[in-house]
Amino acid sequence: MDVKQYQSQFLYRTKILAISVFISLGVFLPVANADETCQSPYMAKIVGQEDYVYVWTLGMEGLGDEQDKLVTIGANPDSPNYGKVINTLSVGGRNEAHHSGFTDDRQYLWAGGLDTNKIFIFDVHTDPSKPTLTRTITDFVASSGGVVGPHTTYALPGRMMITGLSNNTDHGGRTGLVEYTNAGDYITTHWTPTDTDLRGAIKAGEYADGYGYDVRVLPRRNVMLTSSFTGWSNYMMDFGKMLKDPEAMKRFGNTVVQWNLHTRQPKKVFDVPGAPLEIRCAWDPNHNYCFTTTALTSKIWLIYEDKQGDWQAKEVADIGDPSKIPLPVDISIQSNDKMLWVNTFMDGKTRAFDISDPFQPKQVFEKQIGKQVNMVSSSWDGKRLYYTTSLLSNWDKKGKDNEQFLKLYHWDGKQLTQKFSIDFIKLKLGRPHQMRFGANALYATTPAADASVLAQLKE
Amino acid sequence: MARYNVLIQSLVIFVLLAACVVLASLADQTPSSTQIQAPGYGQLAFEAPTPGSYQLPDLGLAANGLVLNVDGQELNLDDLMGDKLVLLSFIYSTCNDSNGCPLATAVFYRIKQRLESHSVLARQLRLLTLSFNPLNDTPEVMREYGQGLSDSGLDWRFLTTASEQQLNPILEQYRQTVNKIVNEQGEFTGAFSHTLRVYLIDKNKHIRNIYSVSFLHPDTLINDLETLLAEAADSAQRVNHSNVDRRETNNETIAPEHASHHPIDLLQTINKPSLGLPAMPVPANNPVTRAKIRLGRKLFFDRRLSLNRTISCAMCHVPEQGFTSHEMKTAVGIEGRTVGRNSPTVYNVGYYQTLFHDGRESTLEQQAWGPLLARNEMANPSIGFVLDTIKSSADYDGLFEKAFSKPVGMETLGMALASYQRSLNSANSRFDQWKYGGKTAVLNQAEINGYQVFVGKGGCVNCHVISDDSALFTDNQFHNTGIGFSDAMQISQKQHRIQIAPGVFVEVDSSIVDSVSEQKANDLGRYAVTLDPHDRWKYKTPSLRNIALTGPYMHNGQFETLQQVVAFYNQGGIQNPELDVNIKTLHLTASEQADLVAFLHALTGNNVNRIIADALTAPVGDPH
Repeated sequence: MDVKQYQSQFLYRTKILAISVFISLGVFLPVANADETCQSPYMAKIVGQEDYVYVWTLGMEGLGDEQDKLVTIGANPDSPNYGKVINTLSVGGRNEAHHSGFTDDRQYLWAGGLDTNKIFIFDVHTDPSKPTLTRTITDFVASSGGVVGPHTTYALPGRMMITGLSNNTDHGGRTGLVEYTNAGDYITTHWTPTDTDLRGAIKAGEYADGYGYDVRVLPRRNVMLTSSFTGWSNYMMDFGKMLKDPEAMKRFGNTVVQWNLHTRQPKKVFDVPGAPLEIRCAWDPNHNYCFTTTALTSKIWLIYEDKQGDWQAKEVADIGDPSKIPLPVDISIQSNDKMLWVNTFMDGKTRAFDISDPFQPKQVFEKQIGKQVNMVSSSWDGKRLYYTTSLLSNWDKKGKDNEQFLKLYHWDGKQLTQKFSIDFIKLKLGRPHQMRFGANALYATTPAADASVLAQLKE
Repeated sequence: MARYNVLIQSLVIFVLLAACVVLASLADQTPSSTQIQAPGYGQLAFEAPTPGSYQLPDLGLAANGLVLNVDGQELNLDDLMGDKLVLLSFIYSTCNDSNGCPLATAVFYRIKQRLESHSVLARQLRLLTLSFNPLNDTPEVMREYGQGLSDSGLDWRFLTTASEQQLNPILEQYRQTVNKIVNEQGEFTGAFSHTLRVYLIDKNKHIRNIYSVSFLHPDTLINDLETLLAEAADSAQRVNHSNVDRRETNNETIAPEHASHHPIDLLQTINKPSLGLPAMPVPANNPVTRAKIRLGRKLFFDRRLSLNRTISCAMCHVPEQGFTSHEMKTAVGIEGRTVGRNSPTVYNVGYYQTLFHDGRESTLEQQAWGPLLARNEMANPSIGFVLDTIKSSADYDGLFEKAFSKPVGMETLGMALASYQRSLNSANSRFDQWKYGGKTAVLNQAEINGYQVFVGKGGCVNCHVISDDSALFTDNQFHNTGIGFSDAMQISQKQHRIQIAPGVFVEVDSSIVDSVSEQKANDLGRYAVTLDPHDRWKYKTPSLRNIALTGPYMHNGQFETLQQVVAFYNQGGIQNPELDVNIKTLHLTASEQADLVAFLHALTGNNVNRIIADALTAPVGDPH
């Protein structure tokens, strides 16, 4: 399913020419992001009211059934299930549930486990209110030739690009990208360039560590970017133990890699020191840039195409007080490229940066969401922001600071107003991590059912 | 309805052709917000990759199905593949979404135009436009749809199916999502919501690329086609391509510096001890054999031997990292659980009289079960669970019987793992050649000076024993250096110095670190085994063989470098009531300390790369 499906439906209902619909919507703004403003550019987007939030949730020892689960939350204020848990689907084991992503046809949600390397494939189209587990990939490591820690599951046409975080020989940070067909069959592996094997890439700076984390693409520039985190040993280790371990702290990624999207060949390795994590690209067709933030050094970096057509990396802003390690984690770009939300885990804050000038982001707002906060997912119009708390099972705060919730806030341009909060500890669910949106209209075959989305489309 | 269809069809063709005409002349103009069309209508905004400079991986077999051509003849889709490269698109003729089906047809049309001057490729290409609306798109409708598009030159077929029953399996196998749009009465409106898909299929009938709206462009398609032609032209590559791609990827090593995978006869390290090592003590009930070593190696690297199938012995005892882990002070077990001590190397482990840092185990055969059952290491819930894992793994069939003449059991599993570890012997270092081999020139003066400090002023040899004909560098005893005492008794630091990027450190308040720290378990060393207060914070003397390869150092991994270790002993360790009598201020000069470090670097065995290469031949037991 693609964006154009909406236009087809819209066209049918409003009896106007398809071409004008495209004009009003700007379908081919080439972008990729984490939440709804952040989906793969190859994918249909929900530009109106989402009906569901799918929360990939880590099982927690001593709580409930202790295992990972996909939790479905009602998100439509017109529904009696608004702000309630509609469904939970336990998958067995604690797999270090982390990120998830839809296939390009948005029929299935792929959710990875960073520890056990399983990938769970959920059918979200047959009944969007009640996803079902249709397949579990258990041979990811063997098939990929040793990649461990399936992280980002990112839609490309007819296939999924999956970033790894580690490897099966030393559980360190050297890793690669793995491609699967939408059917769940292994295609190929692309190892990230290292100093000893640059694979044809050039080093723009000092490092080529071969680490991995996120992936985003700009199809019209034929660019794919990957960032770099750390290996299994660190992401599974108790956070405090790691911070006090100088050997462990040497093992973080310091690079962003530019790849040729079409050929999957690495082209350039940038120095971006201090664990660059999420990558978010601008939406405007003339904005040839993406942002990333470094977890340890607490900085916003701009990865951009210069006037000569070469890609560069530049540090453009501090996030909070870097000397206190606020630990920027998830980020979210507004669909108008005006603002970037940055969550900092340690102080539980969300911060808004004005990025009208991408080279000079300025913080314009901050608010504490809880004792800890990790993910933020924004609706397309930027008016609704969902927050969850869990970072990694052994990195989350300990004791009473280990709040685990999903909160919805409304953003009016000046303030965040909380609309609902769901306590995942009280409900014995676990540690909520990544959120993805669902909408009945995505799979509707009747015009009546998709009214809310289509109404939004007219804007 | 029919009139509506014709109207829409005309509109589609008009939009398609108009878009081609208009956009073909746009050249470098950037479309304004009122002109946004799929990239496939315009100029490619980047330079298409050079044909043949990249590979298109195999996406699996292109599915077959029964279709109808414009004459109404039934054909196997399969019969339209194999002799030529194929581009297959799914459309419906009344699709009025210019960035939908008409885009696929427009791109095909542009390819056809381009290939008029490229007869080689034109002859080897077939375009298939297959309708997913058999109710409306009869062979006759598809003939009309194709009129003016497939007049001559390129082989472009317009296809449909006899029924939805024939169509649906095709759509399903190509994972082409199609939903009918119905009206309020539930009646089909003639419109579909669908994903735009175009498939590139090679002459082996395998899918080699899939294109959708943002990705479909004549330039990249033609270059992909030429890439496949170039591949076919290289017969050797053609024969092997799909297998080679995957095999090369899978065999790419994570550690290129140890890329060689060569088994060696590890039994020789026991039967003929390397220069500098004494005879290996072998239990009478477990004589070492090659079969046992091979089996033990397989077990050592097998990640299935843990509750969630992720942790093998080798995940903490990494061959390329000195059979320990360079990347952390103390180990991390299953689910990231904290292990309190540094992973000890298993080089020359067969010579120890006791095992573990606190010496709580007495034989390698028994020791094997410790990590397998420890909740914070491999976390197997029972002995039977481990044995059942092996019994149910076909790749172990007959191996225990061959090695032990009996099946896997608690005893034989320990024996096999012990046999492999007992064979990981490494000596004949430059020191050994100098000391025991009569090669006086192999050590430089700094190293010789370091040796003199080691056996003289430094007093290191008191615990790290060197004998007349061999050297284990351990007295197999337990000593208190003060490090354990300090860990247990010191007042917590107010700040922690933390590296946040190469060369960049920050001082962070301990309250911040504490908020994400679990309660640290206490460690009393040998006392935990004897309950003798005099044994508080005593740990076993480790061998120093291969010490340059086995950092970080001490039972808690506190020191990153050998310089730090030497400086620690030079200052006399850390004062505490049970401090070992041999540990006292040494008053070594900077030069003497440097020499001592140089000497320690001369203790690396000459066969470590061969042992690593052998280790890399072991399968790691990831689920298939």
